[in-house]
Amino acid sequence: MSRALDRTGIWIGWAFFADLANALALTFGYMFSRPVTMQYPDKEKWLPYSRYRGHHFLKRDEEGEIKCVACELCARICPCDCIEVIPYEDEKGNRRPAKFEIDMARCLFCGLCEDACPADAIALGQQYEFSSFSSSDLVIGRDDLLGKPGKAMTGGGVVAAHLNTEQDVLVETSEPQGYNWWRNIRRT
Amino acid sequence: MELVVALGLIVFKVALLIAILLLLPLPLTWLERKIAGHMQQRMGPMRVGWHGLLQPVADGVKLLTKEDHIPAEADRFLFKLAPILALAPPFVVFVAVPFGESVSVLGTEITLYVSNMNVALLFVFAVIGIEVYGVIFGGWAANSKYAVLGSLRTCAQMISYEIPMGFAVIGVVMLAQSMSLLDIVRAQANVWNIVYQPVGFFVFFVAGLAESQRIPFDLAEAEGDLGAGFHTEYSGIRFAFFMVSEYAIMLLTSVLAVILFFGGWNGVLVPLPPLVWFGLKVAFFVYVFIWFRFTFPRYRYDQLMAIGWKVLLPLSMANIIITGVAFL
Ligand code: SF4
Ligand code: SF4
Repeated sequence: MSRALDRTGIWIGWAFFADLANALALTFGYMFSRPVTMQYPDKEKWLPYSRYRGHHFLKRDEEGEIKCVACELCARICPCDCIEVIPYEDEKGNRRPAKFEIDMARCLFCGLCEDACPADAIALGQQYEFSSFSSSDLVIGRDDLLGKPGKAMTGGGVVAAHLNTEQDVLVETSEPQGYNWWRNIRRT
Repeated sequence: MELVVALGLIVFKVALLIAILLLLPLPLTWLERKIAGHMQQRMGPMRVGWHGLLQPVADGVKLLTKEDHIPAEADRFLFKLAPILALAPPFVVFVAVPFGESVSVLGTEITLYVSNMNVALLFVFAVIGIEVYGVIFGGWAANSKYAVLGSLRTCAQMISYEIPMGFAVIGVVMLAQSMSLLDIVRAQANVWNIVYQPVGFFVFFVAGLAESQRIPFDLAEAEGDLGAGFHTEYSGIRFAFFMVSEYAIMLLTSVLAVILFFGGWNGVLVPLPPLVWFGLKVAFFVYVFIWFRFTFPRYRYDQLMAIGWKVLLPLSMANIIITGVAFL
């Protein structure tokens, strides 16, 4: 009996477009929910997490010497063949890179160079705003790499887009645990 | 002297009408994109002007400065004719559409319509039928398979849905005992036609959706399977013509729905100026069109035909019979 009733109910609903009305109510509800868009270059921008793989940087040791020993392991493992290392011997007799160039136009930010490095000298930092009009500007040399910002300390927050977040800035955000992307998503 | 004034008034009204119809698509495209964005939890255009308000102007400038490309294999004459054929009828139709009784400016009564034809309804349907040629010629002349498929679909769709649409309004004509849109609105001064003609309105509205080729019946320009349908090969200003025509028809369908079934400029409860009431009702229908577009998927071609011939046609005929019997 109840099943028959159910089926008549469905048929009556179908005849009066209950399903279509449901759909319309849903979209109408969505129209008044908050958009999830992040207005990136105009208003807000995102702070990367500490494990974010952005622009590479080269590290220095305690004495301020470049850590890299020019073993070329990173150049070997790189799937895009975009690192070029030429070693030399410095005054103290250490092996150091005379030339260390990364072609950012070809890099796919896999982070394998960071994993392969035996001296913990290279890593992928937090910088992600380095687009350029010419691909030759994207070949970054050793000294530039030494100056690039390192890993992010905090991360995941959303800050005003005009803030300069180049150097490990510690920006106070209201979401220290990271931005909750699901916050505005309506789930019914 | 009187003749000159009357003539001048008509010219002025026509010019105003054309200006409004040409400019209305600008805010409408903006609204459509905004509503679409918010329904999908996006923001829509945001970057040109305040909340993207100047986006349609930017798009217009872009369309005007684009290359006006004609495919090598196209039938050049028809290709150039089609956008004009698509654009002119919706504008011509508005000549017969009243927007209110009259207003007095500086002591003279000015009627809010260009002409009060006694067969206005017939005129509207006859002229709007010509618009199909624009779509069919456009698709045919472009000599592209997507465009041809789009215009073939349009051809069948328009013919199938014009019949129930025509039948649906017969009920209204029977109630008002007149084909003049002005008389039809006057006849609804107390009770709107929607009360007597709910089925007629339903058929009219669905057929109107199909006639203006909006989702869920936008088979002619199904982006998913036909590129852009009949106007795939059009660019620049000619494409803009098709767009304006599409919005004008959407507006026309809303205006007709209001005039025929929702009491025209007759208000209820709240005493607002008639023109405001009219505008509000039309705006509501325009919103419904946009709302539908971002809610429903597209019907399949056979479903489209089945709805037209197996549901709407019998419904509209039954509506006429029942109205007739009730009259006796
Ligand atoms: S991140 Fe990957 S692709 Fe980029 S330089 Fe390192 S190893 Fe090569
Ligand atoms: S960055 Fe690391 S892996 Fe690459 S050459 Fe220097 S020490 Fe070797």
